[in-house]
Amino acid sequence: MMKNVMGIIYTGEQNANLRELTTTRATAALPVIGRYRIIDFIVSSLVHTGVKNVGVITQKNYHSLMDHLGSGKEWDLHGKNDGLFILPPFLSRENTGLYSGMLEALSSNTGYLRRSKQEYVILSNSHFLYNIDFNDLIDKHIERDADLTMVYAHKDNIAPGVHRDDYAYLNIAEDGRVIGIEINPTVPSYPNELLEIYLLRRELLRYLVDSAVANGLHHFRRDVIQRLVNEGGLKVFGHAFSGEYWRIDSVQSYFQMNMALLDPNVRAAVFAPERPVFTKVRDDMAAYYGSNARVRHSLIADGSRIDGEVENSVLFRGVRVEKGAVVRNSIVMQDAQIESGAELNYCILDKQAVIRADGRLIGHHSYPIVIAKNVII
Amino acid sequence: MPRTKECIAMLLAGGQGSRLGVLTQSMAKPAVPYGGKYRIIDFPLSNCTNSGIDVVGVLTQYRPLELNAYIGSGSPWDLDLSNGGVFVLPPYMTAKRGEWYRGTANAIYQNIGFIEQYNPEYVVLLAGDHIYKMDYTQMIAAHKKNAADVTIATLEVPWEETSRFGIMNTDESGRIIDFEEKPKHARSNKASMGVYIFTWSKLRKYLQTDESNPNSSNDFGKNIIPAMLADKQQMFAYPFNGYWKDVGTIESLWEANMDLLSDSTPIDMYDKNWRIYSRNPGMPPHYLANDSVVSNSMITEGCEVYGTVEHSVLFAGVCVEKGALIRDSVIMPGAAIRAGARVERAIIAEGAVIGEKSVVGEPTGLIAVVGHGARLLPESVVPAGVQYEGGV
Repeated sequence: MMKNVMGIIYTGEQNANLRELTTTRATAALPVIGRYRIIDFIVSSLVHTGVKNVGVITQKNYHSLMDHLGSGKEWDLHGKNDGLFILPPFLSRENTGLYSGMLEALSSNTGYLRRSKQEYVILSNSHFLYNIDFNDLIDKHIERDADLTMVYAHKDNIAPGVHRDDYAYLNIAEDGRVIGIEINPTVPSYPNELLEIYLLRRELLRYLVDSAVANGLHHFRRDVIQRLVNEGGLKVFGHAFSGEYWRIDSVQSYFQMNMALLDPNVRAAVFAPERPVFTKVRDDMAAYYGSNARVRHSLIADGSRIDGEVENSVLFRGVRVEKGAVVRNSIVMQDAQIESGAELNYCILDKQAVIRADGRLIGHHSYPIVIAKNVII
Repeated sequence: MPRTKECIAMLLAGGQGSRLGVLTQSMAKPAVPYGGKYRIIDFPLSNCTNSGIDVVGVLTQYRPLELNAYIGSGSPWDLDLSNGGVFVLPPYMTAKRGEWYRGTANAIYQNIGFIEQYNPEYVVLLAGDHIYKMDYTQMIAAHKKNAADVTIATLEVPWEETSRFGIMNTDESGRIIDFEEKPKHARSNKASMGVYIFTWSKLRKYLQTDESNPNSSNDFGKNIIPAMLADKQQMFAYPFNGYWKDVGTIESLWEANMDLLSDSTPIDMYDKNWRIYSRNPGMPPHYLANDSVVSNSMITEGCEVYGTVEHSVLFAGVCVEKGALIRDSVIMPGAAIRAGARVERAIIAEGAVIGEKSVVGEPTGLIAVVGHGARLLPESVVPAGVQYEGGV
């Protein structure tokens, strides 16, 4: 069913903790789970909800994102009306050619917001991985006559001392109203982690953005959302999401998310057959296993050729593992090669990386080694 | 009004493929899955795209639903174009009459209108039941160089198999001097591989003449080609050296799948410059569990393997439960092999479920087949050479 809702995805996050993985790509374009990129999940979630108009705000390094999304065909977002819109930064009198954050990005694209026809907007970040059906969120929002609804996950125990750059926590009243919000707390006071998904009227978003920019404000969460909550004039609700989700903001969280998908139950939840995750198709052959292949507890994508040993790992499309090579606890991206006799443990190989014969790279689960794209060792 | 195209392709996809038994019970032969990710029709369609032929008429007749749904808008093959693309052409009614396609030549005859829209110089005629990779542009170049009326792609087959094919006898320049359909004592081993290029103005004339002959069976091999030979038209053979496989029988379909697993893979499916495109089911990468044992096999997305897979091809979304054994077999999309089942030298069609501890096929002998959507109860037995009918 077509929904009176549009989607805007902000892909400007930069996190130094992702190290080499995001030097040449946006976090949204990070390859995950053998054949996807992070953004596939939010776009697919929107599409399955019935959203037909999706704007993707890009920031630095957006080439790989544009290449991946293309015309939006893979997500059926190439219609005559609406579809997929890529919104890169541009130079103008007000713009420097780089967005300083989500607020400025939204303000630079008020034209797109104005021309869109849908009544509501789902606004999201792009460093979360989940497969959410937003219908429940939309229904509740309308039923409660809410002005703003934010999606959060309730966490019973939040480990203390974790670096919480970019986290926000919501204080939710019994009726579901958001009565407080903490941004980047050292020790959070509330157990409700904000998933950076906002639902509100398109006109309200335009008004909030315009007035914030007019008042010289620049931080979307602090200056718009937090103010709204603190001032208490509008009806701000929280919407609990209880499914699987991952925040990808470091090499460790990236690694753990990929590994989590080795669990069949987790996989079944994320890849529900009625909610497939769409991605750009590469037309690879099926994966081929040679007579020396020994593969255990691993996800293997098409086009791979495996004649070595693979355990507890995720292999992307077109990866080669030669006879006598050993790959354990690792993530190997598209077209990387591990030559005979080489050994990997707790490594992340970016695209087209090559580990020459008999090379050994041993990382640790708390700090996987990252080998950048095209590097030959 | 479509713009003129120098060359368009017509793909004959109407055959039932009755020799494929239960596999074509619910679908036309070109829709039969092959090689883990493909359907047979992906090969000629991808060859067209890779050769720059961007108008393809697909002639359908027998059980077209699966094929129509599969082709859709043609986007997997980049054939969803404003000027051109892939067109499914079923038989149709006209004011005066309507009829099925009576033969391959009649099928093209009934679509003269479609072809003429593009005012082509050449028409490539393709069969929908062969596995091969071929650059048609080179064959078209040869056709032009010879100023030919028809060029027929040929392949040297083993002499003992010549009686299964249409055999060309040629002179030194490659000119066809004789054509024998399934000869007992062949004088050449150059077999037609079902790829023809016709100069359209010539072909149209022969189609019209053939149509007005009430005794003709309206078939290319039986009528059109012999008529052109009799008239001494410019007919040339075009030698092809690559891998080519007719997958018209259960045994040959099984063999063509097994060919992909041999060490010296005769057909390079990893060639990035000549990809075979297919409609993607959009599933996550496949999963091999702790207890799985997989060797000499091809496995694609969406599969979940907990058992043993040896020398086999698994299509998308196949589930192999714990303790199940699959050997020398082809398991088509979405099939489930339950715990402890044993599948050897078998083809399991789409969506079939092999119940716990069932046994399908035998280590030697003919190929066993379980049809589309069949559900085998636990501990069932399907012996070698037996075809178990599908559930649809």
